[in-house]
Amino acid sequence: MRRYERPLFSLLYRMVRDRALAEDLAQETFIKVLNGIRSYRPEFKFSSWIFKIANNAAIDHLRRRSLDTLSLDGAPSAVSPEEMRATSLQLGDRAESPLDEVQSRELGTAIERAIARLRPEYRSCILLRHVEGFSYEEIAATLELPLGTVKTYIHRARNELRGYLEDRRE
Amino acid sequence: MTNLLMHLTTDEIELWAQGLLPAARAMHLADCSLCRVEADRERKIILALVQLPRFAPAAGFANRVMAHVKIPTPSGDWTA
Repeated sequence: MRRYERPLFSLLYRMVRDRALAEDLAQETFIKVLNGIRSYRPEFKFSSWIFKIANNAAIDHLRRRSLDTLSLDGAPSAVSPEEMRATSLQLGDRAESPLDEVQSRELGTAIERAIARLRPEYRSCILLRHVEGFSYEEIAATLELPLGTVKTYIHRARNELRGYLEDRRE
Repeated sequence: MTNLLMHLTTDEIELWAQGLLPAARAMHLADCSLCRVEADRERKIILALVQLPRFAPAAGFANRVMAHVKIPTPSGDWTA
């Protein structure tokens, strides 16, 4: 469980943009996985199975709540500044020079904002590919999508991210 | 044999950004400014994505999960 705790939570957090909700969905995922371990079919990679359950939980939630384009400034339910702070995406610290850190934080924040604007399907694909390092084939198995669709989603997602980041610079 | 003048595909650009494109194809970038610009832009996005931090759930997360997990007893029953 420790091995998947951070990757799974990170994916869910970036999908739903609400820390408490991401934690609920991560908890739901692990409970499903651990209680349903007998239904795991070893011909699939374990990581594909567990990420599939997590992604389905996030997509189901987004469909129910239409939370597909959210702010980095906190959950949509957050009203007060305290709530917005408490639910906002917290970027990690890295050991860098002050200038690097500022640039890196700016790019990190910009890319998080850009990811938040992607369609949920694109977001899952791009996060699994470039944050979790899944192959195209693993993503296709995890999301139960044809390989060609996965490639298309990832290329479109990267193009959209570039577009958002270039708009920001102009 | 792959034509050196052929532009890189999006798959090849991704491979190049990860340092995995065979040298024979990577040589195309030296002569093609179009592909070079495209590859540089793609590499920046991929690097930014790869460097995104991982987040951790709140302390005690594993305990909260395990409180809901059914554990088989020696008699074959399941207990939470």
